Amino acid sequence: MNRDDSTNELGVLRIHKNVVSSISSIAATEIEGVKRVGKDFKSGLLELAGHKFSSAIKVEISKNEEVRVEIPLIIKYGYNIPEVAKGVQENVRQALEKMSSLSIKDINVNVQGIERG
Amino acid sequence: MRFFTTLGIMFYAAVIIIIGLALIVFSLNLLLPQDINNLFIYAQGNQNSRVIIGLSGALLILISFSFAQVILGKFQREKTIAFATSSGQVTISLSAVEDLIRRLAGIIPEVKELRPNVVANKKGIIVDMRVVLRSEANIPELTSRLQDITKSKIQEVLGLEEQIIIRIHVAKIAHDEKDNHRKKEFEKDDRSTIPFSGYGRL
Repeated sequence: MNRDDSTNELGVLRIHKNVVSSISSIAATEIEGVKRVGKDFKSGLLELAGHKFSSAIKVEISKNEEVRVEIPLIIKYGYNIPEVAKGVQENVRQALEKMSSLSIKDINVNVQGIERG
Repeated sequence: MRFFTTLGIMFYAAVIIIIGLALIVFSLNLLLPQDINNLFIYAQGNQNSRVIIGLSGALLILISFSFAQVILGKFQREKTIAFATSSGQVTISLSAVEDLIRRLAGIIPEVKELRPNVVANKKGIIVDMRVVLRSEANIPELTSRLQDITKSKIQEVLGLEEQIIIRIHVAKIAHDEKDNHRKKEFEKDDRSTIPFSGYGRL
């Protein structure tokens, strides 16, 4: 399943996985201590190919429309990682619930590295 | 999972032993090329044996793939420190912890270079550090300080209460380039202050 569908009397509303990924990316970088969203092999290749909005954030939407997000992060040096990760999880959950009204199951944070802020 | 891993290791060991034995038998001239040829001809001639050989090949490939995945998956799992929160799971890559430790070289002036290797297992977090120190450093005092700082920094940043073992290997004592430069300049100055005595004239 590539997108989340919800139907009303006027038609179907589809939210693409990339939208969930973008919201998660913006919400994650809003938190103090987050340097940037990390990369994976696929997003690195897409970026090399000139794809501007390639994100390494993985989004899974289950059959019962529950969303699972996996966010790779680079954290600034000197910040407490669990606190930053918790802040990211809460902010991403709030942003997704507010903007898409999706049911969020898990927001998994994967700290890939530490860089000077 | 451990049972399958053991089974896989035993299977690969058996295959390698069989290949080794076949090579030894061949080198001792106990197995003639003609026998091998006859075996292949017999296998090719019989429809059932060809099917069995083909299926065995496919099975071997499948076993290899699944075994490789188990090993790689195990390695990947060991490369992160994970804990769960109410919103989901947080995994911290061990290379992130290595980045954090590498930054400590900037805090301690006596440390010229620092190469950490972090492993997480049942015992806790094990940090192996290879350090290059400056010549003026007192090694016992400095390494003890480095261990304390690293331990407290990891505990502070990761917020974990797991056992942290820090091993330090002093790989090299480097001469400070600044000192060498100063020495050279001093020698230069010394030479330039010697008055020119001129060539003797007769």
